[in-house]
Amino acid sequence: MLLLDSIFIGLLEASPLILAAMGFTLIFYLNGFMNIAYAESITFGAYFAILFNVVLGAHFYLAIVPSMLLSGALSVAVYLGIFRPALNRGVGPTEMIILSVGVSFLLRYGLILAVGPVNMFLNEPNITYLQFLGMGATNLQLVALVLVLIAAGTLYWMIYNTGLGEQMRGLANNHDLAMASGINPHRTSVAIWFIAGCAGGLSGIFSGVFAQVTPYMGWNVILITMLVTIVAGVGSVRGAVIAAVAAGILTAFITLVTKPLYAEVILLTMFIAVLTFRGARTA
Amino acid sequence: MDYLIFSFSLMLVYIGLAQLLHIQFGMAGIPNFGVVGFWGLGLYGTGVLYLTYDVPLFIAIAMASLLSAAAGYVLALLVLQRSGQAVLAATLALSAIIATLIVSEKDITGGVQGLGTIKFPFGDMDGRNIVFMVFILIVVIALVWLSAKLRDSRMGRQLVAIRDNEELAASLGKNTASTKRWVFAVTCGMMGVLGGMSAPLHQFLVPYQLAPSLTFAVWIALVLGGKGHNLGATVGVFVTFGLFDILIETYAPVPAEQAILLPNFKLFCYGLVLIMIIMFRPRGMLGEDKPRVRARPAQAQGVPRET
Repeated sequence: MLLLDSIFIGLLEASPLILAAMGFTLIFYLNGFMNIAYAESITFGAYFAILFNVVLGAHFYLAIVPSMLLSGALSVAVYLGIFRPALNRGVGPTEMIILSVGVSFLLRYGLILAVGPVNMFLNEPNITYLQFLGMGATNLQLVALVLVLIAAGTLYWMIYNTGLGEQMRGLANNHDLAMASGINPHRTSVAIWFIAGCAGGLSGIFSGVFAQVTPYMGWNVILITMLVTIVAGVGSVRGAVIAAVAAGILTAFITLVTKPLYAEVILLTMFIAVLTFRGARTA
Repeated sequence: MDYLIFSFSLMLVYIGLAQLLHIQFGMAGIPNFGVVGFWGLGLYGTGVLYLTYDVPLFIAIAMASLLSAAAGYVLALLVLQRSGQAVLAATLALSAIIATLIVSEKDITGGVQGLGTIKFPFGDMDGRNIVFMVFILIVVIALVWLSAKLRDSRMGRQLVAIRDNEELAASLGKNTASTKRWVFAVTCGMMGVLGGMSAPLHQFLVPYQLAPSLTFAVWIALVLGGKGHNLGATVGVFVTFGLFDILIETYAPVPAEQAILLPNFKLFCYGLVLIMIIMFRPRGMLGEDKPRVRARPAQAQGVPRET
């Protein structure tokens, strides 16, 4: 029962993490650096939802799509404005991470300067508590789970079965060869950054509606996202999904058994252990 | 006046941390994103030893820094031979673990309620905060001097060789793994010393002080000043912490309602500056400095030249 509970709670809790990890992995795979500024895709997704849902008064479910697209557009803008010029200048992977920290600071504190450092709440659609097979969840959580599964499934299908995914994998594995085979790296990159931004935004919208929207919400999950991605192996989207689900279920399990704070400690320790024992495959 | 002395002391601590990061990242190429964790172990270690076990302050600092060094050594043993990105994530994770444990183990650390009060050493002397600041200054100057010595030494050249091409350095018969491990452990231990010295500065310890923003402040300062230059850390901290936290926050005529947003504006500017530096001047303001090696007298033929 404990196991079943933790799988169920873990899946519900991990649903935003799955999307975030997939998006983060896409960029990591394509451009070979960990984009800390991806945290802001998550945060801005939630704030765009605030804009449509609270300021403009649209229904929550209607606000999801435009917020997600805006988040993707922001991601593309950051790529074209900052990361692509930096990559063209030959900035190394570690420096790219530092650069992305700078971008992250710029966006996050720019946002705070613009909207103020207060926490906000999305207007949730009416919530009913459903129960079946002895397990309870709100309708919102179930909708989120289903939407996340759909989005994750689409993303997965796109990466492994479509031309764009194939182009991306080609570019990531051998940039020159991919270009010689007629793949336009520019177009593919823009598409991938857009999709990754959309995934991050969606993840932010759902974690925002479950709790609250704060300027630090993306930053708070980026460490786990990063570790999930590294543990999964460079750019394995398949691995990222599995690792994110595992991390979610594990967190739920440890939280049920001990204190919530220990869940984080144990999870992070396990990540370090995984890095130790199969680090050769990472980056 | 007391506030200014506090700010200057804190700035010196930042310079020390950035200098150690210069050794770790600038010389040896180890991206340590867990600076605040090692610093915090020193801080809280000193606080707990001093308050709960009545250990004299300086002995408490020494013991706490051993704890930081041990944590650095164990982490180095686990992940230091992995890729840079793995090291970066692991150090960041370690600092998150330390920060969480300090909140959760409230029987030892006081949890979110905090731990205090840690008094300045030197009894009831007048101006002991100034004396303590001078003490920190001496330690930091010693650090800068030592790191210049390290740069000029064989060990320093070995570290640079490891940073640039570890396989090559290893093929020349250097035990690169062990060297990196020890350098990392010792520098982490010194971060612990700086943490211990911050304990009487803060006087009251709360988990909030272990937020990762300290790590990033130190990184930004080092990258800005020049990660490969011995004085890069000093210059970088002067330009970031000195300019914003001391000059602007103390003297700028900012109306009260905007003053709350000032720290956010500061971090916004840090982000902007960081982007500019990486894009247009990746080696930082000072660039890189070459080791100063004394000219050797010409040697007779047939005698193998020592390099």
